[in-house]
Amino acid sequence: MVDAARHPNIEIRAYTEVERVDGFVGNFKVQLREKAKYVLADRCNGCGDCAEACPIEVPNYFEMNLAPRKAAYVPMSQSVPLIYNIDMDACIHCYKCVEACGKLEAIDFAMEDKLVWEDVGAIIMATGYTHFDPSLIPEYGYSRFPNVITAMEMERLNNSAGPTAGNLIRPSDKTNPKRLAFINCVGSRDKRFYPWCSNFCCMYSIKNAVLLKQMYPDCDITIYYMDIRTPSKGYEEFYDRAREMGVHFIQGRPSLVTEDEETHNLYVHAEDVSLGKVIEREYDMVMLNQAAIPQLDQNVMSSLMNISQSPGGWFMEYHPKLRPMDSPTDGVFLAGACQGPKDIPNSVAQGSAAAARAGRILHSDEWEIEPIVAYVWEDRCVSADGKKCGICYNACPYGAIEYEQGQAAKVITAKCHGCGACVAECPHNSITQMHFTDAQILAQIHAVLAKRPEEKIVAFRCHWCSYGGADLAGTSHFEYTANERGLRVMCSARMDTDFIYEAFRLGAGGVLYSGCHPQDCHYITGQIIGATRADRLKKAFDRMEMTPGRFRIEWISAAEGDKYARVLNEMQDVLDEIPKEELLAEIEKLRPTMEKRVRRLRSVPGVEAAYQFSEKLENIIVKEIIG
Amino acid sequence: MTENKGKEDLRIGVYVCHCGNNIAGVIDPKEVVKFSEGLPGVVRATDTLYACADSGQRLIKEDIKKYGLNRVVVSACSVRMHEPTFRAAVAEAGLNPFLMEMANIREQCTWAHGHDKEGALDKAKDLTAAAIAKSSFLAPLDMIKVPVTKKAMVIGGGVAGISSALDLADQGIKTILVEKEPTIGGVMAQLNKTFPTMDCSI
Repeated sequence: MVDAARHPNIEIRAYTEVERVDGFVGNFKVQLREKAKYVLADRCNGCGDCAEACPIEVPNYFEMNLAPRKAAYVPMSQSVPLIYNIDMDACIHCYKCVEACGKLEAIDFAMEDKLVWEDVGAIIMATGYTHFDPSLIPEYGYSRFPNVITAMEMERLNNSAGPTAGNLIRPSDKTNPKRLAFINCVGSRDKRFYPWCSNFCCMYSIKNAVLLKQMYPDCDITIYYMDIRTPSKGYEEFYDRAREMGVHFIQGRPSLVTEDEETHNLYVHAEDVSLGKVIEREYDMVMLNQAAIPQLDQNVMSSLMNISQSPGGWFMEYHPKLRPMDSPTDGVFLAGACQGPKDIPNSVAQGSAAAARAGRILHSDEWEIEPIVAYVWEDRCVSADGKKCGICYNACPYGAIEYEQGQAAKVITAKCHGCGACVAECPHNSITQMHFTDAQILAQIHAVLAKRPEEKIVAFRCHWCSYGGADLAGTSHFEYTANERGLRVMCSARMDTDFIYEAFRLGAGGVLYSGCHPQDCHYITGQIIGATRADRLKKAFDRMEMTPGRFRIEWISAAEGDKYARVLNEMQDVLDEIPKEELLAEIEKLRPTMEKRVRRLRSVPGVEAAYQFSEKLENIIVKEIIG
Repeated sequence: MTENKGKEDLRIGVYVCHCGNNIAGVIDPKEVVKFSEGLPGVVRATDTLYACADSGQRLIKEDIKKYGLNRVVVSACSVRMHEPTFRAAVAEAGLNPFLMEMANIREQCTWAHGHDKEGALDKAKDLTAAAIAKSSFLAPLDMIKVPVTKKAMVIGGGVAGISSALDLADQGIKTILVEKEPTIGGVMAQLNKTFPTMDCSI
């Protein structure tokens, strides 16, 4: 901590939050809210006279609310930076702090939050985790029984810098507990709450047991566990040491903690599974080892940074094995527990790894980005003819389109992220997307529907989420119908109505319109544009009386392989339930409508060639079946 | 072979990967090769045990020169896995990397349809045909070069954030360390001793 504070290349902005993130790899603009501390950083010398003078006491979050702090405060004496804060919610404006500060004049009650912009080339997310609230498990009695405490409360109570100067006492009577029970997996590995293993709690229990045994050799400590997990270097040996020191280990998740109302002693009820016996034991104190869970504002941060979340809410890495430090957004990296629960050694390792990944960019003079950007055919843009339009301008999540009536719309390439929203939204087919042109995608649609199209389900997936979901379905071997024909675009915003109509015109049995969940979108609002269009399509197909379920909209993240497989299988069920001749009749009935809807497609540059190519391809493929 | 009027003739090379048994355990890659051979523009189609291995990449690079390929289709795994690999390979042989297209016949085919080998083969052919079709309309593209602001931001001042910031700073990069609480340190600073060495946390 102190190293960071004195490093000439590090600028610490404490008590500051991220408000907004614009830009792209190498060129991010981040808006920060420097929250008002009511103390001038350049004048405060950290002497603490203000806190001494302050008459107001409120619970200190840093001490897990076990000790008070003043309204003029630092969370702990070793705070970095050592600059005092005035907590305006608690302050009664007696101004005793101002008096105490005296000539330094460091306190400024007129201070306001400040919004500042910072230009940076790369961002590392290291926003950490928070703890499960064990009062949600009423059978353990936390918040009802004073001597049931959390692991974090234990940390403060046995800490020489903590509120009791390291003297572990029972909250009920301030005596030193002699018999302690630690309960592991509180909220974790529990399907009612969080399914995951919180990774470090086994070691954490053992650490506290060893620590207390060193402090109070006579105390009796029992750890109730489901499995002891000690997979890292030196961990198993540490576990052995705890056993040698006389720490008891009982395999079995306690079902209930009860209290003797008079003594406030506690009874832990559990099944000792190695003995196959139901036990009930008396303790002076019980510590609950709570689950590590994502930060409460994880959703806000993931939307700000355009990074997706794994099930449960952790930030999702680009690839769990190959690019574990990279977020899906180029130039944004992940470190520590925001990506999933991890202990200190792993958090430090990830911090260094993320710095190395970011260094690749930051040591380069220029960085290459994929040229998958939008391009306007100026001669097709109606704005150039003086007509009012601006649909592309409104669709763009990045403000990358310049629009002025009388001139063709213009794409600012450096700002374009390549979602394709403008391309699909343009009613005149005047914009295309490099590497995902109409001609290229149509050629693909034709290829996968060349034979027995009525049996096929064309699945449009966004690159970042649903395509990843389909990959995960495969890597997990979640089997689904082999009639699926997946096509990839960068974002659901690119899924042009023309593609869907064309697939149905060609006789597709089903079409899946699939992208990320709204908060996960890689392109800020791309998914919303895609979703709005998809809803419009669904209404159109309902009006056409298409069998419900042949067109389906689903938002599937890269972590939802099971969902991808399930959705496809359900779509297959829909097709299986329609008698073949009825399905073929419905396709024929709707074909003229679909034909009408795609009639303008042929004028798009390249599309006529794609049709001619497809015809040739289809002939060969059909011949192959017959031959 | 093609009638791509006004443009150079398509010369597509198709590489169907076995991925050991990951693909070949469910479908016969040679069937996909046979099917691809007849498609418009395809001048070379072959199977390969591991397209991503050195030998597989070498084959593609040599073929680009030997057959004058101007499009490469790799029917193998996910673009999320190996698109950069094959783009780099074709670029080394002098072909624009955006003239390479992949068909995902592993994650999204053989691994998901092990129960339906016939269906999987049919799908692998279709996905390969779609990649060939798309490749026929690909255009060479150049990467866009953007300038880099040589400054980093680390959001969160816990143990991971502090480590990142220190490492970046030691590399000579100006780093802003943002923390929402009044002090950095995060959960780590609240801990007493830490395992397995039992040293103090701050």
